[in-house]
Amino acid sequence: MNVLEIRNLTKKFDDFIAVDNMNLSVREGEIFGFLGANGAGKSTTINMVSSLLRTTKGEIELLGRNIAKHPKFAKSNIGIVPQDLAIYEEMTAYENVSFFAGLYGLRGSELKERTIEALDFVGLGDKHKSLPKNFSGGMKRRLNIACAIAHRPKLIIMDEPTVGIDPQSRNYILNSVRKLNRMGCTIIYTSHYMEEVEELCTRIAIVDHGKIIAEGSKEQLKSIITDTKEIWIAVKSEGAVDLESLKRLQGVTAVRLEDQTIKINSKAEINNLNWIIQQLIKDQVEIRSVEEQAPNLETVFLTLTGRNLRD
Amino acid sequence: MKNMLWLIRNTLRSTFRKKSSWIIYFALPLAGVILSMLIYGNTNGADLRVGIVNQDGDRPVTADAIRFVEELGHVKVTMTDEASLNKEIAAGNLDSGIVFGAGYEAAVREGRQPDIRIVSAKGAQVTAYAKAMLDGYVGNVAAIGQAAKGDAAKFDAVYAEYKKNGFKMDSDSLKDTSNVKSMTYQSIGFLLMFMMFSASNMTELILKEKENRTFLRLLASPVSARTYVLSNVLFTAFILLLQIVFTLVVMRYVLKIDSGVPFAVLLASLFLFSLAAIGLSLLLVAFSKNSRSAGALQTLVVTPTCLLSGCTFPPEIMPDTIQKIASFLPQSWLLDTVTELQSGRTFGSLYLNLAILVGFAAAFSLIAVYRFSRNNDVRQFI
Ligand SMILES: Nc1ncnc2c1ncn2[C@@H]1O[C@H](COP(=O)(O)OP(=O)(O)OP(=O)(O)O)[C@@H](O)[C@H]1O
Ligand SMILES: [Mg+2]
Repeated sequence: MNVLEIRNLTKKFDDFIAVDNMNLSVREGEIFGFLGANGAGKSTTINMVSSLLRTTKGEIELLGRNIAKHPKFAKSNIGIVPQDLAIYEEMTAYENVSFFAGLYGLRGSELKERTIEALDFVGLGDKHKSLPKNFSGGMKRRLNIACAIAHRPKLIIMDEPTVGIDPQSRNYILNSVRKLNRMGCTIIYTSHYMEEVEELCTRIAIVDHGKIIAEGSKEQLKSIITDTKEIWIAVKSEGAVDLESLKRLQGVTAVRLEDQTIKINSKAEINNLNWIIQQLIKDQVEIRSVEEQAPNLETVFLTLTGRNLRD
Repeated sequence: MKNMLWLIRNTLRSTFRKKSSWIIYFALPLAGVILSMLIYGNTNGADLRVGIVNQDGDRPVTADAIRFVEELGHVKVTMTDEASLNKEIAAGNLDSGIVFGAGYEAAVREGRQPDIRIVSAKGAQVTAYAKAMLDGYVGNVAAIGQAAKGDAAKFDAVYAEYKKNGFKMDSDSLKDTSNVKSMTYQSIGFLLMFMMFSASNMTELILKEKENRTFLRLLASPVSARTYVLSNVLFTAFILLLQIVFTLVVMRYVLKIDSGVPFAVLLASLFLFSLAAIGLSLLLVAFSKNSRSAGALQTLVVTPTCLLSGCTFPPEIMPDTIQKIASFLPQSWLLDTVTELQSGRTFGSLYLNLAILVGFAAAFSLIAVYRFSRNNDVRQFI
């Protein structure tokens, strides 16, 4: 069964169309990646799914029920981790989680257990008496997640849960997402970090200008772009590399230099490897290795939207 | 309902945890009351201008009564006739008038209640002082008449003795109610101001909630925006009620100010006012983008309207036009209610005042709700 079914969803802010006739379905048990550049319409879609915004047009079904007709049902079965922190700074971690869980009707010992469970889950069990204002950014993010899961929702929507945090907290969060998923939660995951999505998600939709422009598993998405290849050339010294002359070569669409590696995007049908190497030899660049990369999500995204995920 | 209680409980808990809440909601109003005690506790401000009409002719006991009024502190007496008395009062040249009717002396000599009328332009509290003093005096003289049982010689003897003592009265028989009344009036005025500030403070929590985005989380839970706003209103009403009870109890039992109005009646009137204050705060919040601008708007609205309606200074010192503007403010209606109650009217007979207070509350809230409901935007919320 589909946990979430979005049909012809549109949201207009005055004349601006933020979400444009979107169709999407999320199946039970998935970690569904929602990729899009800034302003693509991810948060707007998520806000409509969680009943925070009215739709301009279209339908949203959660577990087979229209959310406009069954708002209570929809709200109780969704847990939302907002893009921006939504916690009370002057209440302890425990009180935060317990207060929000209480809004879903939990009381007494059940509330207590679920609160502790949620805090343990994000690794804040020993910090439950502390005030979030003394927390690090990563700990606040984790509390933000705990507040969304204590009522055990079927669908958890995470809107960029890992922005601006330390690697340790980030790993913790990624692991908790997997764990939640194993426990039976369906998860919609939004991120600007391509590696996270690639690592975590079983299915991915790419949003641009309020539209889904591609949807499928990683492999399916990568197979879309058979007309592009990426060549990585490791070099000894970066200094002598003339990126501009490489860019002028036939078929080359983009060139960048990262970690002593020249990364070249090129049209697949043109065999320009010889010319590239010739150019490097002419510039007296010492080549250590050359490999043709299988297309990754970053390339897919770049090719489909014409922009980088992170600007 | 269950959710509403949960929300209220949570707000109460986080409110009472903060020291600043105790100060704002309880210590400040108390300070206002004490301040007004210091200001109005001793002197009664400007002199009272009293016109006296003597229709009893040239009788010694009547003349003594007039001299008694003349010798009261803070009273300036002008002799006049009845027709010009009313004119002068209407023109604002006199604050009040006392008419000694024909047969005054004859009445007190026989121990009967004499014919004295007191005319006043500005509500009872201004003349209450002079009236109380005069009542005490007349009562004493009439008591002499009663004791004399129509024996003129006996009356004259005792009366002469009383006169020699400078018409001293035992202080128990007379309370200077005027000071107490203006003290109460001004204390209530301060309380109103702090109630309004407290109300906006608490209603602004809606905006604060929005700013730290917990509002989104609330709305994503089975709580509707309506439930949330209603729970905030109930919470605010509850705190204001506590504030009223606390202030009145301290006034009555610690500072021993007898307002002259039954406790429950004063409490009920003030609670009606608190509804108007909440309505106004909702209105301010509905028209503000964030809590900072709401705070500014609150100061901009509450401070001058409290000044105009006489919460901080007696309204008599304001020009007439301003006093007229003041009748468009809920504070004036509550203060007027208190004055009327002090002059002996009953709660039930003041239904116009009470209805107007409820009307203010309803009108403000309706506009706020209309404004809220037109917001279809998470960033603007509701
Ligand atoms: N309340 C609003 N009023 C007007 N425009 C809005 C509103 N909310 C969002 N938008 C616009 O809609 C577009 C989509 O915004 P949205 O927040 O959904 O993007 P996003 O994909 O979540 O981006 P980001 O990665 O930056 O979070 C943006 O251009 C944004 O400016
Ligand atoms: Mg977003």
